[in-house]
Amino acid sequence: MIAPRVALDRMSRGLVALRRAVVTEVEDVNRLLSHVLRAGVLVAVGLIAFAFLLAWSGGGPVPDAAVKFRAIPSELLRLTPAGFLSLGIVVLVLTPVTSVFASLLSFAEERDRPLVFVSGIVLMNLLVSLLLGLG
Amino acid sequence: MTPVEQLVLLAVASFLAGVAGSYLGVGGGIFLVPFMTLVLGVDLQVAIATSLIGVIATSSGAASIYVRDRLANLRLGMFLEIATTAGAIGGAVLAVHLDPRVLFFTFAVVVAYTAVFMSRRRETAKDRAYRAGPEARLSERLALSSIYFDHEDEGVYRYRVDRPMAGFVVSGFAGWLSGLLGIGGGFVKVPAINVIMGVPMKPAIATSNLMIGVTAAASAFIYYSRGFVSPTFAAMVVVGVFTGTNLGTRLLLRAKAERIRFAFAAFLAILAVLMGLRAFDVGVSL
Repeated sequence: MIAPRVALDRMSRGLVALRRAVVTEVEDVNRLLSHVLRAGVLVAVGLIAFAFLLAWSGGGPVPDAAVKFRAIPSELLRLTPAGFLSLGIVVLVLTPVTSVFASLLSFAEERDRPLVFVSGIVLMNLLVSLLLGLG
Repeated sequence: MTPVEQLVLLAVASFLAGVAGSYLGVGGGIFLVPFMTLVLGVDLQVAIATSLIGVIATSSGAASIYVRDRLANLRLGMFLEIATTAGAIGGAVLAVHLDPRVLFFTFAVVVAYTAVFMSRRRETAKDRAYRAGPEARLSERLALSSIYFDHEDEGVYRYRVDRPMAGFVVSGFAGWLSGLLGIGGGFVKVPAINVIMGVPMKPAIATSNLMIGVTAAASAFIYYSRGFVSPTFAAMVVVGVFTGTNLGTRLLLRAKAERIRFAFAAFLAILAVLMGLRAFDVGVSL
């Protein structure tokens, strides 16, 4: 029979080890995705804030409708608030797509074939909707 | 209402939608669309398009935390995203000829039932843990079952994913709704993952949050190119929601599963009442 204190000690050591295993096992993909998502939102918020600063400093009016995909580059070159605002929104919409792409890459790196296949289908669906949006 | 007041109100509402959305695993479109149409008097299509942007912001903001803390199940999320994105495209492209009242009535019944079910079921540490018995073939093949660390009792839990195909079909339906109504569809996904697939509440919410952004992106492209997104409104929504998710995710990590489950059940109950009213043409827009 083992003393309760020893048992408790063993159990807590087991838990610590398990927790460490959880963290290291899934660390790479999770950290990458977390950064992608965070960065996407931050860049989008930054672009939107910049657009409003431009508008307040007299760079042009805040637009009523979003700029078409194709017109965004020329608006950006002319430094209009409409261009930056639309770019911010497009960056935000593309953030989840980028995260799917990033997961696909990391699954491929781990040679996890079924999951590469699964994320490939998801990415294809997203491309279809992008094409539907453009067309 | 002056335009500035309108924008400030929208930012505050988005903040609340961000808190609730990240805490409940829903995108928040279900709050934002009615708020914009009823309170601010915005066109329905503009409201839907703008709310989709907000849904993506909620999802990305919340998921970045949940993914970092290994609460979201990436593999399960990716598997179900096949269904949600395909459904979203279907909902945005195919016009379905269905009396909306039938839709709302069906919904009210399903949602009310889920609310009762969720409020009555308990989630103790024992329920959370891995249950013995054979795993579904597909879950095993894709290694969907996972582990997570629960801050509530400082425990690491291993859980199993049951009935993957049933969850897949229901997720497809959630995606279809997302394309059709411009919402994230979290109120369908969370019960599907939690009740049907047997995943504990916190990972279910985190995974739903991760999926919502991908689903909403599929429909957002289509709405954006049709010119329905109002940039000014979208800007307010994004900034509000972003601040809100920072609070909501923090709340969820520390919360008791029991309390989240209760909050979710209450949310579903209110939704059921609103949808029921809508089915009988009592003017609540949703």
